[in-house]
Amino acid sequence: MNDTPEYAHPSPRSRPRLLTVAAACTLVLLATACARGEEPAGGGDGGGDTEGQAQVLDEAAAGDQTCAIDQYGGQGYDLSDVKVGFSQSEAESNPFRITETESIKAEAQERGVELITSNAQSDFSRQITDVQDLISQGAEVLIIAPLNSDGWKPVLDETRERGIPIITVDRAINGTACEDFVTFIGSDFAEQGRRAADKTIEALDGEGEVAILLGTAGNNVTTQRTEGFKERIGAEAPGIEIVFEQSGDFTREGGQSVTEQLVQSDPGIDAIYAQNDEMGIGAVTALEGAGKGPGDVAIVTVDGTRGAVEYIIDGWIHAVIESNPRFGPLAFEAAEAFGSGEEVGTNLIITDREYDASNAEAEVGDAY
Amino acid sequence: MWRDLFQRHGALIVLAAVVVAAGAGLDGFLTAGNLDNVAVGASFLAVIALGMTFVIVTGGIDLSVGTVFALAGVLAAWASQYGSAAALLVPLVVCGAIGALNGALIARAGLAPFIVTLASMLGSLGLMLAVSREGTVTHLVPDGLALTPLVHGRLLGLVGHPVLLVVVLFAAGGVVLGRTRWGQYVYAVGGNEQSAALMGVPVGGVKAAVYTLSGLCAGLAGTLNAVWLGSGVTIFGIGTELEAIAAVVIGGTLLTGGYGFVAGTLAGVLLLKVVQNVINAVGGLSSAYQEVVSGLFLVVVVLAQKWLSRPGAAAPTAPHGPSGPARTGAP
Repeated sequence: MNDTPEYAHPSPRSRPRLLTVAAACTLVLLATACARGEEPAGGGDGGGDTEGQAQVLDEAAAGDQTCAIDQYGGQGYDLSDVKVGFSQSEAESNPFRITETESIKAEAQERGVELITSNAQSDFSRQITDVQDLISQGAEVLIIAPLNSDGWKPVLDETRERGIPIITVDRAINGTACEDFVTFIGSDFAEQGRRAADKTIEALDGEGEVAILLGTAGNNVTTQRTEGFKERIGAEAPGIEIVFEQSGDFTREGGQSVTEQLVQSDPGIDAIYAQNDEMGIGAVTALEGAGKGPGDVAIVTVDGTRGAVEYIIDGWIHAVIESNPRFGPLAFEAAEAFGSGEEVGTNLIITDREYDASNAEAEVGDAY
Repeated sequence: MWRDLFQRHGALIVLAAVVVAAGAGLDGFLTAGNLDNVAVGASFLAVIALGMTFVIVTGGIDLSVGTVFALAGVLAAWASQYGSAAALLVPLVVCGAIGALNGALIARAGLAPFIVTLASMLGSLGLMLAVSREGTVTHLVPDGLALTPLVHGRLLGLVGHPVLLVVVLFAAGGVVLGRTRWGQYVYAVGGNEQSAALMGVPVGGVKAAVYTLSGLCAGLAGTLNAVWLGSGVTIFGIGTELEAIAAVVIGGTLLTGGYGFVAGTLAGVLLLKVVQNVINAVGGLSSAYQEVVSGLFLVVVVLAQKWLSRPGAAAPTAPHGPSGPARTGAP
């Protein structure tokens, strides 16, 4: 193990313009496909992953464990010569997943890397066979967006035997870094929870009842977004009580039906913390149906999708903590550096921004 | 009797055609590693579908197997801290009991299988969430559990042990359904319950037994799956039962009961999984098409069944319910 993180990554801003243009095209397509046709994302330099959109590493949060290929096992490679397999976890009906897949595809195209993809449509046994299929088809590097953090034994046994590097994005695989997988790239979910708590405290002036719409059980995102939120509320706002916690499975329908139950059982609820935007938007629909108006219930969500940021402008959502899904550039940089024998940090944490009434209108173009 | 042949072996014929086509057209499909992955990945669904075949042959349905499968996995992973025997026994006892309860309510209280097993589907889901504390706790199978190498092992380095178990279970299931008196009772109950009762078939006992068997099969599949994955994954559940039913029907078993065979079910399961594998291998095809293709297979098979069982068609060898009034010009 090396003490210093030597993972050499050029700042994402210095990425060639071509990528930016490719990403811009996708984003424009996505933006125009949105229900509320907004003007295309990006601004001045015509870029897609503009400064406001590209993922930026948080050096401080990353930790100092690194992984190099001779520790992990396996052969060095030149990324442009190998097949990369990408396994997406959930159906691309959620803007986060759409943007994530497009970012990976755009980066592969930009670098001229052969990419094979699969989507498990939220079926975990299917994701296991998907990844095994990717390996059968000759994938020598795997980028995985895991549906569940546990249950990867069959895949890990196989990749360890063959020395195939795994890069996990957005959710983690539970295992030993540099043995079961090379690196995890994602947000600091506990910090997202803490920042959501700060926004909730601000909205409620430290006094009131709050409900949590939990994400899907069994993965680190839900767990850490909950822990961070509760930790901050407990430490900073003894006047705020968490009265309700139920899973909306990270879906809009889930968020809506759970919120419908919530307002029936507790009409006086002051705030809702939705662990992703889709559930938050579902909550808005439910509150509207129950006769509430914008601002009656302070909603704080996590993700930074365009739909949610627009609800800030409309006054329904108080704040959105970003969770940036544009993993392509960082994932391929890590894969390239690892293949050429460099040390790669095993925990690459990105910085996330936030939207509230003060910047929503100006920065809605950065949302996805 | 080619119609009967198609009814019996339709899934197998299509499976063979798909395998040949994929083997010719796709690199890496006919490799031992890929075939073993497909077979092992199919084996858990196969065990569930085996129990489902017996249920459907009696003219019933078991909607609870998906969540019972998930519950068994969580229970097995939880119990594995007390050793392999506990990891096997706890889920089998619980899931067997759920199956027996289904059977008792359907056979003795005369309730509709659809409603009873829908209720136990929800009940098992609740139980699973309770054991895993709303899914926030994932129980892990400890390293060094004696069962783990048994499940992960490969015969001659090629054939995964779950596949061997499936072969043994299906052979036993085939003998029981096709060659024993009890198997004849199962067909008789599905063919015509009243006549079966008049002939002295213990209708209630047979029904209770098939639902218990189905619960046990789902429990065994969940247990094996948990050991295979190394943890009690909580996000399984609703949906698996439909896949099992689809596999049984594609395998040639009639949903109306009285007719079917376990070998067809095995072919049906493999067909679903091979299609998934092939679609993954064909670059550029969205995986959403897997559902489309599975759905198409289902429609085609049910249409074929309808056509084959029309009045005047060569009747399948086993009884499968009273024939309708004679029609002419049927498709």
